[in-house]
Amino acid sequence: MIFPQGATTRTEPATVTDVEYDVVIVGGGIAGAIMADQLNRAGQRVLILEAGSAEDLTLTGYEDYLTRFYSAVSKDNQSPYPVNPNAPMPRSGDAQPITPGRPDTSSYLVQNGPFSTDTTYTRVLGGTTMHWEAKTLRMLPEDFDLATRFGQGLDWPLGYDDLEPFYRQAEREIGVSADVEDQAYLGISFPPDYVFPMKGLPLSYLDQMVAQGVDGTDVDLFGEHFTLKVRGFPQGRNGIPNPAYDGGKGFTPVGAVSTNQVEEGGRCQGNNNCVPLCPVQAKYHAGKTLAKALENGVEVLAQAVVTKVNIDPVSGRVSHLDFRRYQDPSSAEFVSGKVRGRVFVLAAGAIENARLMLASSLQSSSGLMGRNLMDHAYLLSWALLPEIAGTMRGTNCTGGIVDLRGGGFRGRQAAFGIDIHNDGWGWATGAPVTDLHNIVDSQHKFGPALRNALVSQVSRQLQLAFMIEMPANPSNRVTVDPAYRDQLGNMRPVISFNIPDYTMRGAAFSRRLASRIFERLGAEDYTTYDPADPGYISYEGHGYRIRGGNHLAGTHVMGTSATNSVVDVTQRSWDHQNLYLVGAGSMPSIGSANTTLTLAALCFKSATHIVQQLREERAPLTLSAR
Amino acid sequence: MNVTRLKDLLQAAVELELSTIPPYLCALYSLRPGSNDEAAAIIRSVVVEEMLHMVLAANVLTAIGGTPRLTGTDHVPRYPHELPDGVVIDLLPFCPQAVEAFLKVENPQHDHQAMDPEHPLIVGRRPEKHPAGATAVMSRPATIGAFYAEISEALEQAAKELGEPALFCGDPARQVTRQYYYASGGMPDVVTDLASAQAALDEIVDQGEGDPSSMFDADGNLAHYFRFQQLKYNRSYRRSDNAGPPSGPPIGVDFDAVYPMIANPRGADYTDPELRAASDTANRTWSDLLRQLEAGFNGRPEMLLTAVPTMFRLRDQSLVLLANPLPSDGRRHAGPTFEWDGVDGPDPEPDQMKGLQ
Repeated sequence: MIFPQGATTRTEPATVTDVEYDVVIVGGGIAGAIMADQLNRAGQRVLILEAGSAEDLTLTGYEDYLTRFYSAVSKDNQSPYPVNPNAPMPRSGDAQPITPGRPDTSSYLVQNGPFSTDTTYTRVLGGTTMHWEAKTLRMLPEDFDLATRFGQGLDWPLGYDDLEPFYRQAEREIGVSADVEDQAYLGISFPPDYVFPMKGLPLSYLDQMVAQGVDGTDVDLFGEHFTLKVRGFPQGRNGIPNPAYDGGKGFTPVGAVSTNQVEEGGRCQGNNNCVPLCPVQAKYHAGKTLAKALENGVEVLAQAVVTKVNIDPVSGRVSHLDFRRYQDPSSAEFVSGKVRGRVFVLAAGAIENARLMLASSLQSSSGLMGRNLMDHAYLLSWALLPEIAGTMRGTNCTGGIVDLRGGGFRGRQAAFGIDIHNDGWGWATGAPVTDLHNIVDSQHKFGPALRNALVSQVSRQLQLAFMIEMPANPSNRVTVDPAYRDQLGNMRPVISFNIPDYTMRGAAFSRRLASRIFERLGAEDYTTYDPADPGYISYEGHGYRIRGGNHLAGTHVMGTSATNSVVDVTQRSWDHQNLYLVGAGSMPSIGSANTTLTLAALCFKSATHIVQQLREERAPLTLSAR
Repeated sequence: MNVTRLKDLLQAAVELELSTIPPYLCALYSLRPGSNDEAAAIIRSVVVEEMLHMVLAANVLTAIGGTPRLTGTDHVPRYPHELPDGVVIDLLPFCPQAVEAFLKVENPQHDHQAMDPEHPLIVGRRPEKHPAGATAVMSRPATIGAFYAEISEALEQAAKELGEPALFCGDPARQVTRQYYYASGGMPDVVTDLASAQAALDEIVDQGEGDPSSMFDADGNLAHYFRFQQLKYNRSYRRSDNAGPPSGPPIGVDFDAVYPMIANPRGADYTDPELRAASDTANRTWSDLLRQLEAGFNGRPEMLLTAVPTMFRLRDQSLVLLANPLPSDGRRHAGPTFEWDGVDGPDPEPDQMKGLQ
């Protein structure tokens, strides 16, 4: 996969101002990349405006990110990406406990609370796929009817069957490794003879150890009976191509972006630093799609932060976007520009899409712009297994428990999926670095004793991450406030967020289930939640720490009318005929599926509608004989 | 045409491709961390393609009912290694002399000055030369290109005499396919008939020598010879360079930022017991790798998955040796010796797969 060298700098701001593009896309993440590639293939002239720095996603650019990650003290999911005050992004260490009534303004996200989230998204070319873990779960059919079936949150204006063909397109684009027989559960269905592009990655040794304790565990929930089983997750990383794919044509895995074919990475090698970056690019990132698009003529203007969406007062259509282009991430200097187009696509992520619209005083006639902000609530539980279980053999996560993603209990408490973390207690405690410090500093061990203690401590670690659903709620929202701005003068997102009791009931149940699983495995439970930590919540006499899921959604929700939603089923704005807001922001619910696969599927669907719209609007008016 | 001789020629081709890998790996691993990034990328890109060539040669051999061998004293290359045209390749750290040898291996027309036997790099370090298996089976001494031309003619002759179905009688299930090998220098061709066999051999020659009048191979990549020219001149190629010396920007070649590995090291050179143990460990890993690859080429392609972590181990264990100065010398460093561990035996057991990703 060749990323054209210099592609991020070859388009001049002056050129951009002179051209009327067919499509202008804001944001170069997976949503923008898919839209750009699809629309360009349909013969449209496409420009991407990227707020992040103009780093090519060539092999050298990618390796620079890797080097920065390797040398970073904190290996958090944003550690490869330098601080950029002109296009700031939340970082997982930013969150602070919030004093009621006093917003925390200390970092990019202004947090009103009451809950303080440590959620993140990445503002570089490639977007959050530059740090994602690449789990590619489909949503359950019942997730699309959450309000009707369970009286929670919102329904989608489309169903699983409508989205199914686009799921397959997304699975091809991302290059998903999975086996249909593992993924057909709780109503998830596939066309007959469908196989994923690549075969499922094998369960890790740790997964197999956990399965010995988990498989066959009975769970009763409000009269419903479930039997638990460890199974593999579908993943956007290269495994063994399935020769039966595509009617026997097979699948060609996409390797690394590069300037030289032989440098193309291969399959997953188990390096276990999937988050943030796979060193051999076996994991999909949007640079792979962007490389195709840019090679075929899509233009990109980087370091260009859109400041305003301008509306023609007569037609209600978007006339142009204003942007500020900075020369240097560390300098506040910029040059202003504007860009015109026939269709505009906002693909900057759930928070930035809403932030930009609100900063342009476009609240949506529904009043819902920025509302219904969703994320997954993560609850971690961690324990030490009685024997060495091969923890730290990658990838980050190969298997988990998905049996409680759906069921009648969702009328009363949240559904959830469980991840078995091959990277041990990393997320919860900072392992293995913290283990090393402890063994050296407190236990004063060195040499073989140190090595043995590390192995004994680290390779027995078991961390279960419960990914708990959170239905849409209009009071969870993004707003803007002229009092809070970034270096370039853009208003920062202000977040008001609360974890509903529905989700906390799921969390409390998750904690009890974790204890039960640990008991069955003979594992010693080390879970503690510190009231001083951000995200700490008391619920029914127990304390929990809820972590952000980086699965932000819902801020420009899709629906059936201009009164109940911001966008229609094609992700087109009800108010502005040539404006599409795409991505997880359009999703009325996210169930217990990581959002990327579904938002990618939605983008494939929207691209066909945009092509159709452009064609219709270009066609000369003809008088019909009928 | 005698099919046995054809099999011997193809076995020699497999060994020839294998024999190029340790010298390239020595140069690659000898680069000090944080230096020579472009040089590392260039050498790695070539060594990865040599691995593909070995797979391609093995697929042709398997297709005619042969069994590729990589293990045992008869098949594992020894150094200094003498190619059929008399070119000697040594295990050397990254240095101008190593680059010269690489250029000669990849292009017989290269105006090559054989290293002076008194050169301090190799003086006393070339006790005997080990001729390539190809030398014995070829009808006349010749270059690698001519060697493959001879195989190609022999295949055509045999196909004419026996008929393609009789010649290509190998079990198609024993071919290494893209399911188990991809994104490493290209895709392996599945060989089932004369056309696919010729395509596989053409790919080997094309990626290596290329067409001397053009810098690029059929896929549009720089041929190996021209990639190494960039190391010699410390400059990258521009498209307009037209097969002359490169005139692009410098690529940061630094022959000083290298572990000064002793030439053609052997386990027996390491009198220090710790060093010897580290060397034996690396050689066991190298031998394990060859056993796994051999199994992978002979009907158990899943062993190629096992080979991936083995390659990582071999790299890590080689780096341990390269970082250590020889106690007896004080200036030059140890290095991987790529010696067979002497354990001839059955295929690796499936339980080597246990607990692997």
